[in-house]
Amino acid sequence: MSAAGPAGATGHVAGERHRRLRIAALWIASLIFVGYVTAPLVWLVSSSFQSEREITSKPPHWIPHEPTVQNFAAIFAAPKKDVTYETRRAADPASGGFIPSTAANLLPAMANSLIVAISVVILNLLVAIPAAYALAKIRFRGRDASIYAILTTRVIPDIALVVPFFLFIRNLGLLDTLASLIITYLAVTVPFSVFILTNYFEGLPDELDKAARVDGCSRLQTLLHVYVPLSLPAIVAVILFAFLASWNEFLLALMFTQTPNSQTLPIIVASFTSDFTISFSFINAAGVLAIIPPVLIALLFERYLVSGLTAGAVKG
Amino acid sequence: MTQAAVLARRRERLPFSHDERRAWLFLAPVATTLLVVAVFPIVYSLYISFWSIKLTRPHRQPFVGLDNYAQLLADPEFWHAVGRTTSFTVMAVTAICVIGLAVALLLNETFPGRKALQALLLVPWAIPYVANGLMWKWIYDSSYGALNGLLFQLDFIDKYMVWLGDANKTLPLIANAFVWKEVPLAALLLLVTLKSIPADLYAAARVDGAGALQRFLHVTLPALRPGFMLVIIYETMTAIRHFDLFFILTEGGPGDASHVLSWRIYVETFRNLSFGTGAAMSYILAIVTFALAYGVIRALGRNVR
Repeated sequence: MSAAGPAGATGHVAGERHRRLRIAALWIASLIFVGYVTAPLVWLVSSSFQSEREITSKPPHWIPHEPTVQNFAAIFAAPKKDVTYETRRAADPASGGFIPSTAANLLPAMANSLIVAISVVILNLLVAIPAAYALAKIRFRGRDASIYAILTTRVIPDIALVVPFFLFIRNLGLLDTLASLIITYLAVTVPFSVFILTNYFEGLPDELDKAARVDGCSRLQTLLHVYVPLSLPAIVAVILFAFLASWNEFLLALMFTQTPNSQTLPIIVASFTSDFTISFSFINAAGVLAIIPPVLIALLFERYLVSGLTAGAVKG
Repeated sequence: MTQAAVLARRRERLPFSHDERRAWLFLAPVATTLLVVAVFPIVYSLYISFWSIKLTRPHRQPFVGLDNYAQLLADPEFWHAVGRTTSFTVMAVTAICVIGLAVALLLNETFPGRKALQALLLVPWAIPYVANGLMWKWIYDSSYGALNGLLFQLDFIDKYMVWLGDANKTLPLIANAFVWKEVPLAALLLLVTLKSIPADLYAAARVDGAGALQRFLHVTLPALRPGFMLVIIYETMTAIRHFDLFFILTEGGPGDASHVLSWRIYVETFRNLSFGTGAAMSYILAIVTFALAYGVIRALGRNVR
């Protein structure tokens, strides 16, 4: 080292210092980033394991001193009780205070959310895969116009659909049914599914079609036996996006559902937040349940989601 | 004749007949679905907005033409809502761009753990707005919230403060919750744009003696333009129509401090049961969104083709 001479040595030292500075800067930036993203979530989870007594301490206990699972227990083993005006007003002292008897509605709501989300996913695939194939691989008049039309429906604000949907659903007698949600969620999910799949099919070589044709495949067979197996990443992305959109949707569900028969998880959770007699530790437990599936999906399938979200962002 | 040439000739002879018909057959399910769940409602909505439909008065629903619109445009409350929506949107989109850029620049570096950070980034994006809303409602809680607790422990405040209940703080605080959930998408869009910048540009700038800051100002920022356009337009569209957080966090309050357009549409339609005006208001919102979206659709449509 010393033999390298003064110039070489200082250059090396400067390089080394620069490298260390860069690592330090990246560490600090990463820490800030992780804090920004996780701190609110950690606090949500931490307070969901606290009792009403602990959650109201000042300053807050960042980590529960006496962790309890009573909030989750109330959800998973909710005793059947009649809700009367009095028990509601009295903050449900029978259930140990501040935990609503309506906690029992959470699991059925979760089941409703699942049924809706899975149905929406299946319908999305059935409708979007053939359409995307036609748009990507068949030359026909009106193709560009179709692409624009589908993309246009993607940007209709859901709040603008609420009034007509409500009257439409009411006239069909579908208010307070899961069907009303499944139908209307198609409006919010299908355009994006078509977009992702079209984008992906476009990237597959046209020769596939011709080869399959030579082997005597029909268009439908080509799609099912050649394109679908080759497009699994895009199909997975479509499944995830449609699932998340349905699982998270709030506005339409708020309008069309009225009873626990059809209320989805976000609706039940939201109904807790506007009741001042309910402990926030319990509300947070409900929130934790609502975010578990999306968080798992985000962490496990990050690659598929990122490719879907950024599809077409830079190719132009 | 080579095998390839034979194949090429066979291919030419194979007629792509019925393709026009086949294409429409494949598109039929999507076309039917979107006609029913998107095109019909938006047209029906326009129709409703020309009538005075009140569910409190089901038997008299006269045609009023453009009256609903005229009334709205003459109503100062409507313009206040437009003003609040605008300030919410400007605050939110500005913050999303700044934080999103910072995150994108961090994730554009190579370092151990980068992949884990990118997976973490998707978590806020994936969770429901309702959960995001209750999380922040609890953080902002004026009696026991984390924000008060933290600021108090750090000695920034000497007593717990009112947050969402303070009319001056409501909109920025709701915007903050919105930003937390929207930053991931913005960061990802900016990140792919960053990755598409050719390394030659940086090399050339280095040869010209540009320092890190100059390279950022003269190479990175201009190259990020298309990414920023996409983020700004998309997030503006999302912010002006946003509803969920207003419902969970404040229900329009305190007073009317968070009465944004989407909240007014909800109140007008489902609390005042005045469907005609609700539809008119949502139509105005839809037209504004379409105008904004036009740019995005052009860009995305071009990419698909």
